[in-house]
Amino acid sequence: MNIRAWVSAIRDSLQSMTRSPIMSLASMATVAVSLLVLAVISLLAVNLEYMAATAEDQVEVRVYFCVNDETTEACQDGEPTQAQKRALLDAAKQVPGVESVTFVSKEVAWQQMKQQHPEYEDIYRGFEEDGMNPLHDSLVIEAADPDQVKSIAEQMAQMKGVSEVNYGQDFVDNLLAFTKAVRLGGIALVVMLVIATVLTLSNTIRLSVYARRREIAIMKLVGATNWYIRRPFVVEGVLLGAFGALFSMALTSWGYTQVVKYVYVNVPFLPIISPQDILWDLTGGLTLLGVLLGAVGSAVSMRRFLKV
Amino acid sequence: MIQFVNVTKIYPNAHVPSLNGINLHIGRGEFVFLVGPSGAGKSTLMKLLYREEVATSGKVIVDGKDIGRLRPSMVPYLRRNLGVIFQDFKLLPERTVFDNVAFALEVTDVPRREILRRVPAALELVGLRHKARSKCLELSGGEQQRVAVARAIVRNPVLVIADEPTGNLDPENSWAIMKLLSDINQMGATVVVATHARTIVDQMKKRVIAIEKGVVVRDEERGTYGYEH
Repeated sequence: MNIRAWVSAIRDSLQSMTRSPIMSLASMATVAVSLLVLAVISLLAVNLEYMAATAEDQVEVRVYFCVNDETTEACQDGEPTQAQKRALLDAAKQVPGVESVTFVSKEVAWQQMKQQHPEYEDIYRGFEEDGMNPLHDSLVIEAADPDQVKSIAEQMAQMKGVSEVNYGQDFVDNLLAFTKAVRLGGIALVVMLVIATVLTLSNTIRLSVYARRREIAIMKLVGATNWYIRRPFVVEGVLLGAFGALFSMALTSWGYTQVVKYVYVNVPFLPIISPQDILWDLTGGLTLLGVLLGAVGSAVSMRRFLKV
Repeated sequence: MIQFVNVTKIYPNAHVPSLNGINLHIGRGEFVFLVGPSGAGKSTLMKLLYREEVATSGKVIVDGKDIGRLRPSMVPYLRRNLGVIFQDFKLLPERTVFDNVAFALEVTDVPRREILRRVPAALELVGLRHKARSKCLELSGGEQQRVAVARAIVRNPVLVIADEPTGNLDPENSWAIMKLLSDINQMGATVVVATHARTIVDQMKKRVIAIEKGVVVRDEERGTYGYEH
């Protein structure tokens, strides 16, 4: 490796960039925008998966008893009597993997809901004026181990007098499906942006190549290898890509830190990955990608000029 | 040094061949003028020598290598043994005389110390050492062509190819350039010059190869230009 050749390649590429500053800025901006979108999508997907993983660790299963006007097969006998509910509670205790079972009456559940979501006070008042409680009596079952939640829920759902069984997995499945959609949509978007970025970069490099076409022709005549000729342009592409990536990461880091701060204060129970756990990896990855995009962009534009 | 075996060159989309079945042999250390009307195929023949173009059929052998079969990645290494000179000089006008000559060494990773030794020697030979720091655009045409000659010889090439090197120069400068090429030949390099400079060809009494319509029509030791214009 020849240090002098690299130094001159870097000097040449910086000269090229200042020779057409608008084009250079435009390509850095496209790199920055593409990588910004990629960063936002990555952060979103990673956090959604984190939420799903957190939810999966919840060990609670909620079993709702039938009420009178339900028409499903399990509820055809109407609401179970207190004795039947008692029997169901005892049966639940016998299911393998169950740690504890608590009975929650619909009155208690109503009070809990009013406390947790005071913002729907109008609706509550409406029901109360009519003397109605739309909730069901229920059992709250704690599993000893998250792995057993699903089998407990399935067994409880088979029992007569049980209207519905809710557990974390429903939420987790929905969340994972959503995450998948975000990923797919994100990848499509990023692929398009990456193509646009490579094209813009290669156009910028093409301008530099054009500005130095005379020099390139002479270099070829005096026996410079293609790699020697290509070097300053590849360096230029790499620098444009790296600058764009760093800019987008500066923006992403700032933005994500703000979001996390907001979440900590306003939605404290929402699981979210802390900035220092993810931003360094993301910066490294995206800078690498920016560099790669720059290199590919310049390779695309150089191919035509180097035919001997 | 150079051998053409039945060389034909047809450019894409061209109806007539630029070179048609050329057979030639130029020995090591020879000095050869290539003459003929414009469009006769002189430049094409030169381009085959430094592999700017590749023959459509036949063999071009330079310094023992069939250069038509050279892998593209090896072409730069072929050119490092050649010095090529053009009518339009092909210099970098914004750069100094020194830089232009050093350029040929820099792009082939010659060490700095070696460059500092060889460039002044080459400039000395063409009589431009005192102008090393001038920019090329400040020089006269004759001086610029001397810079190009210095660049061509700074690597001690075995073969120097000059395509109408005096086409843009007045008679006095033309003579100076031809004299330089002759000196380089005396030092051992094979020299091939395509030219329209009738007086010079007639007086230098070197081997003359005439090409017309892509065919060698005349090949004389100590020949003359032989055309009226």
